[in-house]
This record gives sequence, C-alpha cells and structure tokens, in this order.
Amino acid sequence: MRNFTWGQAQTVMDAAAAASVTVADAMLSPPNTNGQAGASIVKAGGIDLLDLLKEKLLTADRITSLKELPGLDVITRTEDGGLRIGAAVTLANLARSPLVLRHYPALANATAHAASPQIRNVATLGGNLLQRPRCWYFRAAEYRCLRKGGGHCFAIHGENQYHAIFDNQLCAIVHPSTAATVLVALGAIVECADAMGAARRVRLEDFLVPPDEDVHRENSLRAQEILTAIELPALNPGTRMVHLKQGETDSFDWPLADVAIVFDLDAERRCKRAAVILGAAAPVPHRAKAAEAILLGRIIDEEAAKDAAHAALADATPLHKNGYKLPLFETLIRRAILRAAADLHA
Amino acid sequence: MAEANTAVSEQNVPFAGAGTAETVQLMVTVNGVDRIFDAEPRTTLAEALRGTLGLTGTKIACDRGSCCACTVLRDGLPVCSCMMLAIEANGHSITTIEGLAAPTALHPVQTAFIEHDALQCGFCTPGLVMSCAALLEHNANPDQEAILDAISGHFCRCGTYPHVMTATLAAAAKMRGDDNG
Amino acid sequence: MAESEASRTATFAVGLASTGLDEVERQIPRDEPPPLPPNAELAVIGKSVPRQDAFAKVTGAALFTVDINLPGMLHGRILRSPLPHARLRALDLAAAARHPGVRAVLPVAQPGDSLRYFGVPVAGVAAVSAQAAEEALALIHAGFEALPFVVDLDKAREPDAPPVHDSTSAPPGNSSGFPAPAGLPLNGNVRGPALMQRGDVARGFAEAEVIVEGAYSTKVQTHCCLEPHAIVADWREDGLTVFMSTQFTAGVRHELAEAFGLPLARVRVIAGAIGGGFGSKSSLGNYGRIAVGLSRAAKAPVRIVLERQEEQMDAGNRPATWQSLRLGARKDGTLSAISLLSYGTAGVTLGAGVGGIAAALYTCPNFESAQYDVFINAAPGCAMRGPGNTPGAFGLEQAIDELAGRLALDPLALRDRIDPSPVRREERRIGAARIGWQRRHAPGAESGPVKRGLGVAQSLWPANVQTTAACEVRIMRNGSVEVLSSVQDIGTGTGTVMAQTVAEVLGLRAQDITVRIGDTDFPPGPPSYGSRATASITPPARVAAWRVLQTLFQEAAPFLGVAPEALIAHGGRILVANNPGRFMLFGDATARLHTGKISAAATRSDDYGGFRRRMPDAALALQDLGGVQFAAVAVDTETGIIRVERVVAVQDCGRPLNPKQIESQVHGGVLMGLSYALFEERLLDQHTGRMVNPDLEQYKLARPREVPDIEVVVLEEYRGQSATDAYGIAEPANIATAPAIANAVYNAIGVRLCALPMTPAAVLAALGKIPRRGELP
Ligand SMILES: Cc1cc2nc3c(=O)[nH]c(=O)nc-3n(C[C@H](O)[C@H](O)[C@H](O)COP(=O)(O)OP(=O)(O)OC[C@H]3O[C@@H](n4cnc5c(N)ncnc54)[C@H](O)[C@@H]3O)c2cc1C
Ligand code: SF4
Repeated sequence: MRNFTWGQAQTVMDAAAAASVTVADAMLSPPNTNGQAGASIVKAGGIDLLDLLKEKLLTADRITSLKELPGLDVITRTEDGGLRIGAAVTLANLARSPLVLRHYPALANATAHAASPQIRNVATLGGNLLQRPRCWYFRAAEYRCLRKGGGHCFAIHGENQYHAIFDNQLCAIVHPSTAATVLVALGAIVECADAMGAARRVRLEDFLVPPDEDVHRENSLRAQEILTAIELPALNPGTRMVHLKQGETDSFDWPLADVAIVFDLDAERRCKRAAVILGAAAPVPHRAKAAEAILLGRIIDEEAAKDAAHAALADATPLHKNGYKLPLFETLIRRAILRAAADLHA
Repeated sequence: MAEANTAVSEQNVPFAGAGTAETVQLMVTVNGVDRIFDAEPRTTLAEALRGTLGLTGTKIACDRGSCCACTVLRDGLPVCSCMMLAIEANGHSITTIEGLAAPTALHPVQTAFIEHDALQCGFCTPGLVMSCAALLEHNANPDQEAILDAISGHFCRCGTYPHVMTATLAAAAKMRGDDNG
Repeated sequence: MAESEASRTATFAVGLASTGLDEVERQIPRDEPPPLPPNAELAVIGKSVPRQDAFAKVTGAALFTVDINLPGMLHGRILRSPLPHARLRALDLAAAARHPGVRAVLPVAQPGDSLRYFGVPVAGVAAVSAQAAEEALALIHAGFEALPFVVDLDKAREPDAPPVHDSTSAPPGNSSGFPAPAGLPLNGNVRGPALMQRGDVARGFAEAEVIVEGAYSTKVQTHCCLEPHAIVADWREDGLTVFMSTQFTAGVRHELAEAFGLPLARVRVIAGAIGGGFGSKSSLGNYGRIAVGLSRAAKAPVRIVLERQEEQMDAGNRPATWQSLRLGARKDGTLSAISLLSYGTAGVTLGAGVGGIAAALYTCPNFESAQYDVFINAAPGCAMRGPGNTPGAFGLEQAIDELAGRLALDPLALRDRIDPSPVRREERRIGAARIGWQRRHAPGAESGPVKRGLGVAQSLWPANVQTTAACEVRIMRNGSVEVLSSVQDIGTGTGTVMAQTVAEVLGLRAQDITVRIGDTDFPPGPPSYGSRATASITPPARVAAWRVLQTLFQEAAPFLGVAPEALIAHGGRILVANNPGRFMLFGDATARLHTGKISAAATRSDDYGGFRRRMPDAALALQDLGGVQFAAVAVDTETGIIRVERVVAVQDCGRPLNPKQIESQVHGGVLMGLSYALFEERLLDQHTGRMVNPDLEQYKLARPREVPDIEVVVLEEYRGQSATDAYGIAEPANIATAPAIANAVYNAIGVRLCALPMTPAAVLAALGKIPRRGELP
C-alpha cells in the first residue's frame, strides 16, 4: 500500500470537497499510474477501501475520514414517521437499533447477517452501499476488466458461479450490498451533499447504476459529493417484510442469493402493494416486476407464492456456472413470500 | 535455485518510503497504558501493535478481515485490527490479548480455553479469546447461538470450535458464579 | 525368539480394553523399561492433562516464527510469475537493488528458464521494511514470453495438450514410491501407470455375481494453515540459524546443509510455536531457500512471511483426483475382484494418487490398480492430512455403499462380512448405536423438501514411525526435569504427551516436566507428518526417562539402604517397592546427585515383534490404523444446501495418551473432512491459469456455524509393540468424513454425488433441478 496523507473532515462541505474523485473514476486508470495520482478519497469504516488499497487496485494521495462528522452516525425518526439513517451508522448499530428492529426488521436482519461482527462494528451503511463489487476478476490487479476501464469481462466466459443471472451481458457483477436489497424493497431515498452544501435526494433504486447505463460505476455518486443519509419512507400499518439470505455457508459468507419482500395486505390477505427484490442476482438489486405483478390483488397463498417465484425467474439469463441460482432463487422467493404472509408482525 | 545473487552495497541512505512518507504521532491507550508513537497513515493497527509496540500476541493470518485472527477490542468492541488503520485508534482504547488477563489471574475465558483444550496450533486462539471475552462482557449468560454469532467470522483450521463453545459456556458460568459451570 | 544378552521376555496386555485384554509375550531390549500397563493403572498417561503450551497460547506469549524479530532483521518478498506458463526473457534487478532500504536482491529464475505455473518465484528482495521490499518488487524488470498452457485435468490428458514438462524437467519420482514411484513412463502430460496387482482380477470378475462401477472425483484443497509459511534466516560466517514454521526441523536442517553446502553442525533450525501445517510445511520450500539466499547476500537476518494469497497459490495443496472403481462380489457380499483406475494432478509435480486404501481395507483376493499422475500448469501439490487415502476413501467407501445397496444388504452388515479388522467391527457396533443407525431409512424415502439421511465410511492409515527419532531426558540436581528433542509441536500436543510420558516414568506430574523441543540443537526428532510423531517420539521419551531414573536410583539407593532394583518412582517420591513407607521426595533424591545433572538419551527402537516394512529412516509399524465415522445430514432439495447435523467418530490410535487432545484432533479431522466434502475448491481461471479465490473469503470453508454435533469415541487398543504403544490420530480422523457425508447424502436424497465439493449447484444439478438456458422448471 502506498502511503498517503490523512485528514478528518469536520463538516459535510469539507468532506465533500475532500472527495476529489470518486473511487470508481480513480480505479479506471491502472494503480500507480498518473491517472490515479493526486486522488483524494473519503473513507468511512474503511473495510472496502483498505481492501482496494491492499490489493493495489487503488492508490490515494490523501484519505479523509468521515468518522468525525457530527450527526452522520445517528438514526432518527422523520416527521412523516419514516426513518433517517446517517450514512456513518455502523452495520452493528443498525442491526441492533430498536427503531430498525421494530419497524424495519428485514433491514435489521440483512445487516445482522452481513460479514462478521468484527466488520459490522466498523463498516457503515453508507460504505456498504458504495462498496465496489466482489467479482474476483475485479478484485485482482492482474485483470483489467471492463469495469476497471479495460476491454472485456473475464467472468462471462470464466468462473462465474457467483455472478449475475440477470442483466449480465456486459458485466456480470452482482451488487455487493446485502442491505441494498432490503433498502430498495423499502423504497429508500439516499441523500447526498456536495462541497457547496447543496443536497440532492434520489431513490436508491435510481441512484444505483446498471452496466448498460455506465459499466464503470455502480452508483451515480459524483466527485465532491458525499452520501449523508438514507431515508426510509413511513410504512402503512400492516406492511409485511422479510429478508432471506442463503450463503454457501451460514457462518460468514456472501449470499448466493438473497430476497427482500415487502407487501401490504388488506383484511382478506389480498396484496395491495408488493416489492420483490433479488440480491446477488444482478449488477443492481433486481426488481422482479413480473412477480410483483402476479402478487398484486392476489390472496397470498402457496399458489400465489409459487406463481410469483416462477415468474420472477422467467427472464433470467444464467451463465454456464450459475444456473443453480434459478431454482435457489425460486425457492427463496416462494419461502420469503409465504413467511411474510404468515408473519403477523406489522 | 539460482546461485547467483547480488549483495547491495550499503548506501547510507536513511530509508524513506516512497510517496509522501509522512508519519503522524498517535496516542493510543493500549491495555490501559497511554502509548505515544509515530506511524505512517497507511500502517494498519495490527502492524502497529505487532511491529512498533511489539505486541505480537495479535496475529495476522489473512490480512483482509476474513479470519478474525487479528481481533482486538477498540473501546470494548471486537474489530479486525488488520482492517483498521492505526491512525483510527488515535485517542481510543485498545485491548489486546496481552492486556486481557488481570495482573494476578487469567481472564476466565483464558482459563476455560486451557481447561477445555480449546486450542491446538494456537494461532487463531488470541483472536477467539478476545471475541469470546468481549461477548461475556455484555452477555453474562450467552446461549449457543450468541457464541456462534460472536465467533462466526473466525476461522480455525485445527477445528477447535466445539471446544471453544464449551469453554466459553464454562467461562460464562464461572463468571456468573454458577458452581456447576 | 529366545532371550539373549540384549533382550528379555516380557508379557504385554493386548487387545481392546473395552472388550477384554489378552496377553502376549515379546522380546524387548534389556535396556528398555518393562511393558507399560494399561491406562487404568497409570497416573498421568491416559489423562487429559492441559497442553504444556496452553498458557503461552491463550495469553499471546507464544512466539511463532512470524513473531521473531531479530536485531537488524530485513523483510523479504518474492516476485512471482504472472503467467501459468512462460519463458523468462529478461530479468533486471538493478532498479530494485537501488531502491532506498533494499539490502539484497536475488534472482531465482534465469532468463531462458521455463516458469510452469502462475505464482512460481522469479526473484527475491530483502529490505529494511516490508513496504520497501514491496515497493522494490514493482521495480524489478522481468520479461515473460507467454507459452501455451493447460490447467484442466481432462484437457491435459488429451494428446494435443500443451506439454507441461519435457523429459528433463519432469520430476523423477522416488525409490520409496512416495509421492510417486521412480522410473514410470511419461506420455504427453500423463505419467504412469503405477501398478499394483494381486490374484487374477479377470477371473474374479468372471466369478462375480454382482458388479458395481463408479467414477469419483475430488478437487484441489488448500491447507489454509492459520500461520502462513514463515522463516527467519540468519546467515553468519560461523553458521546458519533458521527459525521456521516447519513440520520437520531435523529434515529442514539436512535440506539446508545440502542446498547451501554447509556442514550439518553449522546449521540450526528452530521452530517455536507453529501455526498448523497439515502437510504443507514438511520441507524447506522455495521461499525458505530464497530467505536464506537473501540473508547470505545481505549479511543480515531476513524474514519471509507469505501473504495469504501466496499461501493459497503456492504453498502446497491436496491434489485433484479422478478415479474409476469396479467391484465384483458374490451375493453374500464377499468381494471377488477390485479394479481401480485413477488420474490425478498435483500440478507440476507428482503425488496425485488415491492411495492404497482400495487394496487394503477389505478382504479381496483379486486386485489391480493403475494410477496416473497428470501434469498441469498449476502450483505443486503436496501431502495433506491423509494424502492418497482421503480421496481414495471418497471413491472406495461410496462404491462399497453402492454395492450394499445393490445386494440389499445393510452397509454395516456388508462390512462385517468383508472387513477383517476386529477393531473396526467394534467401532461399527459402537458408532451404529450412538448415531441411531436403526432409524436409517431407504435412500430418498423421506417426504418434504428437507430430507435427512445417515451414512457411514471407514478409514485406513498405515502407521509409520521415524526410526531416527531421538530424545534426551535430564534431571537437574534441584529436581527439575527436561525432555529435549528437535521434534516440533504443530498443534497436535506432541510436547504434552512427551511430558506425560516422562512424568509417568518419574512419578511426577506432567507440569513438572519442562518440554524443550523444536530445536535441532537437541537430539533429532521425527517429523510431524504421517501421523507419526507420537508413535516415534513417545517410546524413546519413555526409554530415556527410564534410563535416567535408573541412574537416580543408583544414587538414591544407598540412602534408603536398599538395592537400586528395589526402588520405584511414584507420587513425587522415590520409594522402596515392597515397603512404601520408606521413601525420599524426588527433590531430596536429586539433591544428593554428585553431578549438576544426570541425563540419558534414547532413539526409537524397533517395534517389539518387528516392523512390517523398512524404509530409509522410517518403518511401517501398523497397516490398519483408522476408525469408522457416521454422519447424519439434512439436504434441502430446493436450495441444494447440505447441512451435516451430527458426526460420530469412533477411532483407534493404539494407546490413547491424552483423551482431550485426541478429541481435539478428531474434531479437526472431521471438520477438515466436512469442509472438503461440502465447500473447498481451488478455482483456476481456465483462460489465465490464475487462482480466482486465493483468500479466505471466496475460498469457502466450514466455519463455526457449519460444525455439527461431533461425538468422539476413542478405543483403547494395545498391541504391545513399543514402550508406549501409542500411535497417531490426525490423519485417520480425516479420511472417512467426506465419504460418510456423501453416503448420508445418498441416503437422504437417493441420488449419489460422486464429485467434490458437494455444493448447492452440485446437489441441484444431481436432482435435475437446473434448467437449461431458456427453459424453466
Ligand atoms: C470478509 C468480508 C465479508 C463481507 N460480507 C458482506 C456481506 O455479506 N454483505 C454485505 O453487504 N457486505 C459484506 N462485506 C462488505 C462490507 O460490509 C463493506 O465493505 C462495508 O460495509 C463497507 O463499509 P465501510 O464503512 O467500511 O466503507 P468504506 O470502505 O469506508 O467505504 C466504501 C466506499 O464508499 C466510499 N464512502 C464511504 N462512505 C461514504 C460517504 N458517506 N459518502 C461518500 N463516499 C463514501 C468510500 O470512499 C469507499 O469508496 C464484507 C466485507 C468483508 C471484508
Ligand atoms: S463481471 Fe464485471 S467486474 Fe467482473 S470481470 Fe466482468 S466486467 Fe469485470
């Protein structure tokens, strides 16, 4: 790792000003070349950043910590009854927050099962959403793949057992954030602030960038901008939500597949609103629109769950080593829907 | 192997790393003692503990946060010291395996690890001891699930997990004062 | 054999303690102690005394090689080939050598050399800091010409596959047959066959009433020692001192003396605490040579610690195998013929066979096997916990399960018929009761998406001993006792069982014995591999302790007014055997010594009754160490997830010396086997030859939540073959796990998974649940 200078931002504007370049842009030039010279980067928990630096995928001249920023590490209720989660709230604090546990249990579940306790004590929600993908070609300096500014994707015809089954023609990453699966399902808004103090708010789902829009980045964070908060809209009474994750191991593993279901049921258990989001399925959390359409207006029972699960996978385009994700997702979706319907917890 | 080798003559150049090579002065409370030392910003906490401070009980096994061998407590919370910069410990309190025992007696988790043979090669042991001790700090009566969660990020190739579980349950019982522990 | 000047007759208890002991008479050397009674009569041996190094390890005080920091020590790093097959065209180290802080550079490969795998060392640098060394690596100018390569076992067998070796570069094999016999033909990338044959296999199959056939494959598993490979080399004018995380200090010392042309006496190897080995730390290794070369060049100590990525890519691995097995049997299960064909790959080296388990585990008059090594452009494999027999058992024990099914016999009943070992019969009986075998149902009989099943498999391991293993026991005048040997403790508890053995002889407690091991300044110890450390070092430890005790008796006898022969040592006292009221405290006896210390040494003597086979510096003591393991699994047929819920491991290792440590070893064997069965696979990118998961994150492994309920039962078996009658456990405990799980999975879902690892993808594919493109279930 090359040495760098260190700073601690005291205000959001300072912090934004310190982000001279996005990590995604910096990584487009090979490390230790002029392209990365002068990069000034911000850091939250640093779990992802240290990984990139140690693997020599990224070199930075200056790193500015966001950990001292006031107010970035708190969770508060919003006026309309939603939740505002500061970008620097750690995954551990998120998972044990009474507000989150009570109102958004699926989010607590997703964060409680990401990585390990040691990492969750440090990693932040903002960093989790902004971390770069875990594709093993992307993570090895030996491969200058498409996403790093190179010419082609090594995964599509390579080792792709953990890669995407949707939207995988250009670059087959899966979005690395487990929290994002649930946050998209909940309709979360991200709030960014720039160096002039201007804030922008955008739905997380729109903030995340699929490959055909720009294969070089996973989100639309700009230079001189930082993520300040994630806001969750208020829930209707009776909203049900479930997050299910299946890793190869249960101890400490990335999901092979994860599913977030959020729906509102009326008195007859008829579905009024449904979100079915698949994680580890596509370069961004994948909204299974066909499944949502099937659930809408239906009474949630075994049959409905099965139909929805089936429909969710209809347009999947598995690669040669990840076809197993289809039955796996189908199972998880079906089970998540049924569990959500059975779950009396609002 | 090739026999030719080239000794490099002493150049009398004091070493200075490439790049900015600046060091910063840090003050970290390590095992209850305020330690003031210089570190480059890029130095990880694990490197500083093992190198500058000579506390080699903290182990580096993967250096990427995926085995937890380097677990230390920062302000009481277990963290991977390999995935944290030393500079981020500035002004904080760090407890390492060397600082866990009281001056006169081992920590109950340490005693239980010995009694229940919860170690083999011993390389992952300091990290596991730290995680289990941290768990008992805020959960006096952990069940299997709580212990599993606390150690879920650890990797032990020798397979000590079953004995780690029994040892931690026993240590918890002892700390609560249950005699049947 | 009659008594002679050198030997006398002694009566040993033999057999299983649980089913009743017999007696046998053997000749033992006169300068060795009488037979050691069964554990029930002993004070220290057979007890779960705490590890002698446990305190140091739980407090962080234990010094591993990675913790050694000598004054003026430099940090070494290795430049590695970025291609799976290349010719080195140019190597210019000048800029690296000029980099501030760099003290030495060392070419490892020369221009023109072939570099046959991704990650093979090209050059080394040593600098005053790890960062400076790393920066210097980037300044090395190396030119590589890419050559055609092959990293796939099947593709490498094709006639037009790019050749990995030519006749001069191919490793020659070994006269001992390990890891592969010398002198076998090389045909393209395929070397062999190594043949084994007995009886008339054609006739055996002709006589068979049932024939089962199957093909089984296993993947490359990496050792994943927690402590990386590490060395601190300190080359000085007057000799070389090396601190190393090694499984064989005495062996590395020889390697160093030979490689660097030094007298053996000028080479010292020290291994403090060792963070695991599992077979991968058996020799000096390329990194070891580089560290010594750098230290010689820099005239300063050099430390090399491999990074995890280097560990995964070039620090040894368990070879991949493919085997096809054919069994012929009569209707009653009796085997009439076994035929085995195998192809395996240990990358650029040899040793990818499936062992001898198919030839030896069951009674079968007609047997043939042909085993081939296949070269690919991948890092060299090496021994790993139960080499050969571990993949071998994965095939054989599934084939036997298959045969039982075909014959409509219970798998245990079939084994009762064809397994000659009375010990394993007892192990099957015990294990079946503990796992609840009677509730085992027909394959795939459960309804519902999650199906449970039970499986069983057996292990077999030849117990070798190191005939050069030696040890010294010293008693100081102040009553302290040391046991010394260069044997190392890689986490198996070797030091503890040595202390127990010596304590038992001297009538002391284990903690009274200071264990000084892991240093070639002490008598040469055995390697810690092949499950041979305990069997090799505890007999000489007991003999040496007994000999030095005779000296103490000589000196103490006059004070107690009896002949030395009348004395015994017990409970911290030297007492008169037939008048226990007459005694001296151990410390009082030693205080009367004429010299500051007394000492005796011993080398491993031949097994009483003789060895089965001799090899250079080693011998085969037992053919059939092992055990039987049972697994209970739950298979989610909709997600493909297999979870092992329970394992019962019934093992034998001769005389158990420390039950708790044995239990720990068995846990380790079972978990490594479980991890091998379900998760582990080194994945090489087929287009670039690089390992894509060289870490502990995408290289999947069993961790705490994957641990089943493991019940360990260890039989107490006596054979009267040595001064302690103790044998190893580490490897036998690993061999049966994967096939037991595979058989349980078959029992659960009624479909056999013949390839490792048994991932969700493999399970779903076997169940026919993975749609082809564009087609949904
Ligand atoms: C072994 C291992 C296993 C893991 N398993 C999982 C898992 O199962 N599920 C999962 O979701 N994750 C997992 N992770 C990833 C981990 O959760 C993320 O790396 C972590 O959440 C990143 O958060 P951080 O605060 O440390 O981010 P940092 O590393 O500090 O930052 C990440 C990126 O975001 C930028 N950044 C951070 N905060 C801001 C901000 N407020 N404004 C602008 N830019 C910002 C940084 O510049 C950097 O580019 C795993 C990681 C490891 C090492
Ligand atoms: S999947 Fe994306 S990140 Fe991975 S190799 Fe292909 S282009 Fe690169």
